[in-house]
Amino acid sequence: MVSTYIPKTLEEALIIRKETGARPLSGGTDLMVQYRRGIGVTPKFPWPIMIVSNLKELIGINETPDGSLCIGSATTSSEIAASPLVPWHVREASSRMGAISLRNLATIGGNIGNASPKGDLPATLILLDASVVLASVEGERTVLLDDFIYGAKKTLLQDDEIITKIIIPKPARPFTYRWYRKIGTRRANAITKLSLSAAITIDEKGVITDFRASSGAAGPKIARNKALEATLIGKNVEDIPSLLPSFLADYDKIISPHAMPEYRRTSTKRMLEYFLTEVSKRPSGEIIE
Amino acid sequence: MAKMPIETAVRRSDAIAKASGTQKYLSDMTFEGMLYSRMVRSSIPRGIIKNIEVPSLPEGYYFISHKDIPPEGKNELWMIAKDWKCFAENEVRYVGETIGLLVGPDRNVLANLLDDLIITYEEHEPAISIEEGLACKGGAFVNDTNIFCELEIKTGDEMDEVFNRADRVFEETYRTGFQEHVHLETNSVACVQEDDAFVIYASAQCPFYIRKSIAGLLNIPYDKIIVRQTTTGGAFGGKEHFPDVLAGPLLVAVNTIGKPIQMVFDRSEDMEFSVKRHPSRTIIKTALDDKGAILGMDIDVVYNVGGYLSCSFVVLQRGVFHATGCYGIPSTRIHGRGVATNTFPSDAFRGFGAPQTLFAIERHMDHLANFLGRDPLELRNEYLLKKGSLTNTNGHVYEEVKLPEMIKQITDASDYWRKAKEYGRGTGKGIGIALYNHGGAFTGNGEQMIIKGHARLHKHSDGTVDILVGSTEMGQGFQTALRKIAAQVLDLDLHMINYDNPDTSKVPDSGPTAASRSTMIVGKLVERAALLMKKRYDSEEDFHVEVEYEHPEGFPWDQNTFQGDAYLGYGWGAAVVEVEVDALTSEVETKGIWVSHDVGHPIDELLIRGQVNGGVIQSLGYASMEKMENKKGYFKQNSMSDYIIPTSMDFPKMESFLVDNPYEFGPFGAKGMGELVFNGADAAFCEAVSRAIDRRICEIPIPPETIVELEIHGN
Repeated sequence: MVSTYIPKTLEEALIIRKETGARPLSGGTDLMVQYRRGIGVTPKFPWPIMIVSNLKELIGINETPDGSLCIGSATTSSEIAASPLVPWHVREASSRMGAISLRNLATIGGNIGNASPKGDLPATLILLDASVVLASVEGERTVLLDDFIYGAKKTLLQDDEIITKIIIPKPARPFTYRWYRKIGTRRANAITKLSLSAAITIDEKGVITDFRASSGAAGPKIARNKALEATLIGKNVEDIPSLLPSFLADYDKIISPHAMPEYRRTSTKRMLEYFLTEVSKRPSGEIIE
Repeated sequence: MAKMPIETAVRRSDAIAKASGTQKYLSDMTFEGMLYSRMVRSSIPRGIIKNIEVPSLPEGYYFISHKDIPPEGKNELWMIAKDWKCFAENEVRYVGETIGLLVGPDRNVLANLLDDLIITYEEHEPAISIEEGLACKGGAFVNDTNIFCELEIKTGDEMDEVFNRADRVFEETYRTGFQEHVHLETNSVACVQEDDAFVIYASAQCPFYIRKSIAGLLNIPYDKIIVRQTTTGGAFGGKEHFPDVLAGPLLVAVNTIGKPIQMVFDRSEDMEFSVKRHPSRTIIKTALDDKGAILGMDIDVVYNVGGYLSCSFVVLQRGVFHATGCYGIPSTRIHGRGVATNTFPSDAFRGFGAPQTLFAIERHMDHLANFLGRDPLELRNEYLLKKGSLTNTNGHVYEEVKLPEMIKQITDASDYWRKAKEYGRGTGKGIGIALYNHGGAFTGNGEQMIIKGHARLHKHSDGTVDILVGSTEMGQGFQTALRKIAAQVLDLDLHMINYDNPDTSKVPDSGPTAASRSTMIVGKLVERAALLMKKRYDSEEDFHVEVEYEHPEGFPWDQNTFQGDAYLGYGWGAAVVEVEVDALTSEVETKGIWVSHDVGHPIDELLIRGQVNGGVIQSLGYASMEKMENKKGYFKQNSMSDYIIPTSMDFPKMESFLVDNPYEFGPFGAKGMGELVFNGADAAFCEAVSRAIDRRICEIPIPPETIVELEIHGN
């Protein structure tokens, strides 16, 4: 029989984690489905489980003194989607995850820990340079999310660690234009077939001071390439049309879709091209649709 | 009391219990001492079972297999053919074939036993696709050719002669995929002993089918098996024959163990290990004269039957008989084959073979029109069947065909002609139209020769009347429809009429709830019985009347040559669908749906609306997103998050019209419609997308990734 623990504090959870290797389960929307064995049958997990959905230390959304946002790992998608503190991209992704019932249970920590390339939240969090805080009885460490998830279903989480917080830094200047598009398997209650998150900051002189793009479900992990992004930074927004062909060709190289490659490559290219072309026209709205 | 017209909508008898969640289904039922069961299934698509290593069973746990069938019984399920075994003995033909049952009181223990049970096989090379089946990949396993069933029908001149005369020939191949029923309630059956009989409780469409199918396993008379339908949460054909596959092994197990046993599939079992709609390949070759008139069509239809025949020959026949759609073609030859493959057997699904060939002929008419540089609707209008037209079985269209009026309704409402011209081709916007029909009830004289349905009404001394038939409510609203028919004839309030889920020991056999026959045929039986009862209602206290099916005169049919009137009447439909294809993501947004149907005279406008909405959206799902792939014998999609059916967000509200065209032999002029409404929106959707992207679409489903591939590579 597999043991199940229900720790009352984070401290207790870390000890259980250390001693038994128990894995945290909060909403269970991934684990309970993945390990189900039929009606009326207890799921069979290959490791002990601890239920962390009631740990206060892991729940909540707060602004920190340096302006970063801190989201507890057991905070649900519904809570994130509804919070005005949360950056737009993350709220958009949160509000489109699965169905309402799933969003009421699924947590940001679970979505990160599951490390699916189709995960909705990591795509936007990686765009925003978010980090995860990992706690163990030994202490805490902070890892950039883009490094933490290093492959499909692969993370740097150690056997004694728990994801406790997600830190989203505030960009140096607010983004001038933003883009988020999820292509789901249908219009609601859908898994992501492809997503593109993007943001750009342009100064008074028309110079691009920040540009980012991240692609979800287009390879074994969320695709983001800062070196490629940097090729647009420092350029004038008016020059985008002339820079686009080579930029798009290079962007195509950073994604590596296994299934539906033509679809994922073509749609990614079209979306990026559209976003950047629209941006070069300097529209009044911040959200490009 | 002033009588309401029959079509006036009433609240469904099952509405409140189902909408409020208080309705009990089979999985809510328990019996004293009830055991649970899990199916032990083949994990390979083709091979020979070498050894079954059953783990040591705790007390009270059992492994049931073909060895538990008594010597006087036969290891076969009698669907239409008798080839599908209750338990595999030696050979396995598909992934998921029943090998045994594990039975016991604790479902956790059963799950562990299932994990520990090891079967070793000698694996053989499987044939999965239609082409692999036809090529006898791995060697034929049915006859010498893998052809399970075959038929050919002809009209007019010999095909060779027609094609010799042709100025031009237009030929294309059309394909449709597997489709999963996704009934809300999964397959569920329980078996208990009551006195000297076995009682089967089943979520099922056809209680009498189950009784017939399984009695031979124990070689016992039909009256020793009682089937009680439990409230059925959707079926769509998936519970026509398939409940036999659960009920058979349970009967053998209860006979061996002597305790009640239930089996409820979970969703992934229900998707991976249940019957599907037949995948199809249809090749249509049209001979044209120098003016572009159609001289004849040579049509080749192949359906993927899977590992066992079950009812597939009948499905194939319906496919062949619908292969020329709503059109009168001067000369035709239609050849149909059902090919054996190592996939889960294909079976009944709303439309029963007609949707596949109707998709093909509708796409063909669109592409043919484009080939001829003509408008697709104009071309269709020239060949529309009319009253008295010859059908492709050399029968005649009996009723007035109101398609011209229906086409006008939906082309006016959708502004079809303006949009068709304005959008052109390749603009990202498109509008398409499709026409379709569906032959009501069993093929030919099947209602007379095979079914001979009965219906009984019983009046109690308190004035209430019971409807006693074997027909079932499965969500389509039949309990409401039938009660309305009886109430209307007897001039009673609806609440005076009872119609419970059938019990085969208490009701006569009115035939299966299938083939869009229930309202048309069983409704008529009840109307006739009610007319007889009405004469005696005021003067007698407690009595019953029973009627038997009477075949109308003037519908000759020869089931050996497939010549004559294939159906007693058709429902007719027309659909316009308008779409916009997203320039960035190639996602298709459906902007409008306009449909018109001839269902005779409606028994209840709200029930009709429910069927129209559900059928049309199910058809659009089939066309756009319902992709079920079979890789090496295994269905790849096994959950509702990877097998995608539409939600209410995916398609807009449709505008739905009816034409009144009372059917002489149906109750209050009604005819079949439950399947009709599935038969054509798919083709209209494809034509709209086809125009929007200026590419031919010959295969469904057509998800955005396929649209992009077509955009990039062309046809």
